[in-house]
Amino acid sequence: MKGDEVVRSLQDLLKGDELIVSSNGNVSRQVFAYLHQPQVYLRGSMGLPMAVGFGLALSQPNKQVIVITGDGNFLMGLSSMATIAFHKPQNLKILVLDNGSYATTGGQQTVSSNLAYEEMISGMGIKNVQSVDVMKDTETLNGKLIDLLAAKELSVLHTLVEEDIHKLENIPWHPPEIKDKFLEKFD
Amino acid sequence: MIDSVELISYLHKHGLNLATGVPCSYFKQLLIELEKSDKINYIPATREDEAVGISCGYYLGGQNSFVLMQNSGLATIGDVLTSLAQLYQIPLLLFVSYRGLEPDATFPEHLLMGDVTEDVLNAYNVPYEILYEEGWQDTIDRALEEMNANKTVVCILVEKGVMDE
Ligand SMILES: Cc1ncc(C[n+]2csc(CCOP(=O)(O)OP(=O)(O)O)c2C)c(N)n1
Repeated sequence: MKGDEVVRSLQDLLKGDELIVSSNGNVSRQVFAYLHQPQVYLRGSMGLPMAVGFGLALSQPNKQVIVITGDGNFLMGLSSMATIAFHKPQNLKILVLDNGSYATTGGQQTVSSNLAYEEMISGMGIKNVQSVDVMKDTETLNGKLIDLLAAKELSVLHTLVEEDIHKLENIPWHPPEIKDKFLEKFD
Repeated sequence: MIDSVELISYLHKHGLNLATGVPCSYFKQLLIELEKSDKINYIPATREDEAVGISCGYYLGGQNSFVLMQNSGLATIGDVLTSLAQLYQIPLLLFVSYRGLEPDATFPEHLLMGDVTEDVLNAYNVPYEILYEEGWQDTIDRALEEMNANKTVVCILVEKGVMDE
């Protein structure tokens, strides 16, 4: 299973009032294409989707905030996970789409394959961490996604996915428009 | 010297209720007061770009915050400034200590950045003003006005001894 299929699996599971922050490159394009709009589609600021999601979760404590990030972004911003783990915002969920590569820039390898994600993240002090290899095991994905969304605490789901260098169309909204549309949710 | 408690109250009165950043010794007292404050919630960040990311996310949720850092941190935030805050036109207030000036010559690690701090801000098109004890409220008013009117990043540079330490 590829990362975009994991994103598409969320379609039927989301209620529609979740706030989503997606990492730059392919992941933001997938979130734009397949999930309810508008969301915080990051065009740049590689490494920072967790930080932005954390700020959003602090600002909107009664809304569920979901960060959807590639492994390249996740690893670049790894220390944000330490910050988040310290504060444990109960409304923040992190979904890692780990294709072991920087797919957006042509599929160059990341160092992800060497890492034990569950141990690494739980070692930071986050209790609810799950990992699923959706290349081998597509059956349990839905259940894990449901658990992630239903959890009443800071939670991380790490999914091992197939690399996919197929590119979607770029997001047609200009960044200030993304911001303005997103902010309208709170009017 | 500017009293940290007064500064916190002033910023809070202007609608800021969260701060994040990485410490500088120039902000030692300010950070002590922020950690105690029930007006402004302080979130220690691991990096300055993370702090800017948190502040931008907070704004996207409809609330306002500011970021504290040493000018060394300006060298860390180039990408998050240009490809998030400025690109999305997100108002962002930076309080940056201005190290590497004359009295700091015993800290060689700050000298180069001290020399280029204003050049860096100019290069990134970040409007800035230096904070002095006299008229500090006006400086903050101007910065907030510019930030909110133009949906822009603004920076306030703080030299040694301006804040209570
Ligand atoms: C600071 C910075 N460095 C490099 C890039 C170029 N870049 C854009 S997307 C990307 C890959 C992101 O990788 P990942 O988060 O794993 O997502 P994937 O592309 O695999 O979906 C890179 C390196 C960038 N945008 N910003």
